Amino acid sequence: MSDYLFIQSQDPFTEVRCAAQYQLARQLRDAGHRVHVLLVQNGVAPARLGARSEVFDALLGGGVTVSADGFSLKQREIEASDLKAEVTVGDVGDAVDALLAGSKVIWN
Amino acid sequence: MKVLQVIDQAFRTTVEEQDDTILWLTQSMRGAGGDLQVLLSGHGVHYAVLNQRQPPLVLGTWKQSQPAELVRDLTNLTESGVPVYAVREDLEERGLAGLPLQAGVELVSRAGLADLYERVDQIWQW
Amino acid sequence: MSDLKTLTFAFMDPPFESERTVTFFRLLDAALERGASVRVFAYEGAVALAFARQAPHGNAVHGRDAAEEDHPLTREWIRALQEKAAAKDLSFEWINCGLCVDERGVNDVIDGCGRGGPPDLWRYASDAFNTLTIGTR
Repeated sequence: MSDYLFIQSQDPFTEVRCAAQYQLARQLRDAGHRVHVLLVQNGVAPARLGARSEVFDALLGGGVTVSADGFSLKQREIEASDLKAEVTVGDVGDAVDALLAGSKVIWN
Repeated sequence: MKVLQVIDQAFRTTVEEQDDTILWLTQSMRGAGGDLQVLLSGHGVHYAVLNQRQPPLVLGTWKQSQPAELVRDLTNLTESGVPVYAVREDLEERGLAGLPLQAGVELVSRAGLADLYERVDQIWQW
Repeated sequence: MSDLKTLTFAFMDPPFESERTVTFFRLLDAALERGASVRVFAYEGAVALAFARQAPHGNAVHGRDAAEEDHPLTREWIRALQEKAAAKDLSFEWINCGLCVDERGVNDVIDGCGRGGPPDLWRYASDAFNTLTIGTR
């Protein structure tokens, strides 16, 4: 079993490729690996309550843990209480922790 | 250490740099002993079905004399033992599935990416 | 993966173009904060991040002169991270892709930023505990 962390800067409203990126995260989870997605930059947009993205909501329901970078949230005036229930507030330092723990960290 | 180079974009700087910068980087690191594999995904799958040298750009009185040779660059990699994969569904989405693949390029399905990612130590997404 | 406390980062974006640049620098800062030494391979446009002739400017729209505007410069961010690394007795190495420097004419770089090529990226990555690459779009 491996640990994966995806730094997800792309968002499904701009980038069609996002769907395949989310899908890969889920496939890795289904294959038995631990997978976390850290949303950064505009990647945090679908995490907001009321944001409409079927592919993102499918990611949330697929056993992958998801957090959103606090700085990116602050830039967009998104509070923790504005986030969908499955999304926690994180930080880019979490990606560094994953690198230092030997995880496979991948930028999207 | 095995590294998978993921090329998800194509033609980003092929005119200005006269190559794909990640194919170039991979060839150069291979020469330095790098244990590398290449995954062509997204628009990157275009590279797997090219047959010709890139068209030379003409601007005013300037004409490019050495356009990119992506077929050669990919061949250099496969012939030097670098595994090169292309995502089947990305070829299909772009209407490229019926075209012959460049020699040495292997197809991988999206469902097979998890296995591919597990066979390497690091994944470098470019 | 021989060094438990060194992380390598490869980056491709130039300054003043993308939000990725900010995230990249935040990652470097977080790595130092956690006690990791840092090695950077700047590729393509990212070689301009260390360009020594970056200059701050005033901004009439903001109604501020150059001093008041205090415009961010990536060369100063690099310098700040170099200083942070030194204060924590960590190493902070930076190599620019030499060909990328030449074609852009940004040879004049700040102290502590060197020149190299792809073999240096492979060396950096091979010696580091882990590596993160951030491509451009």
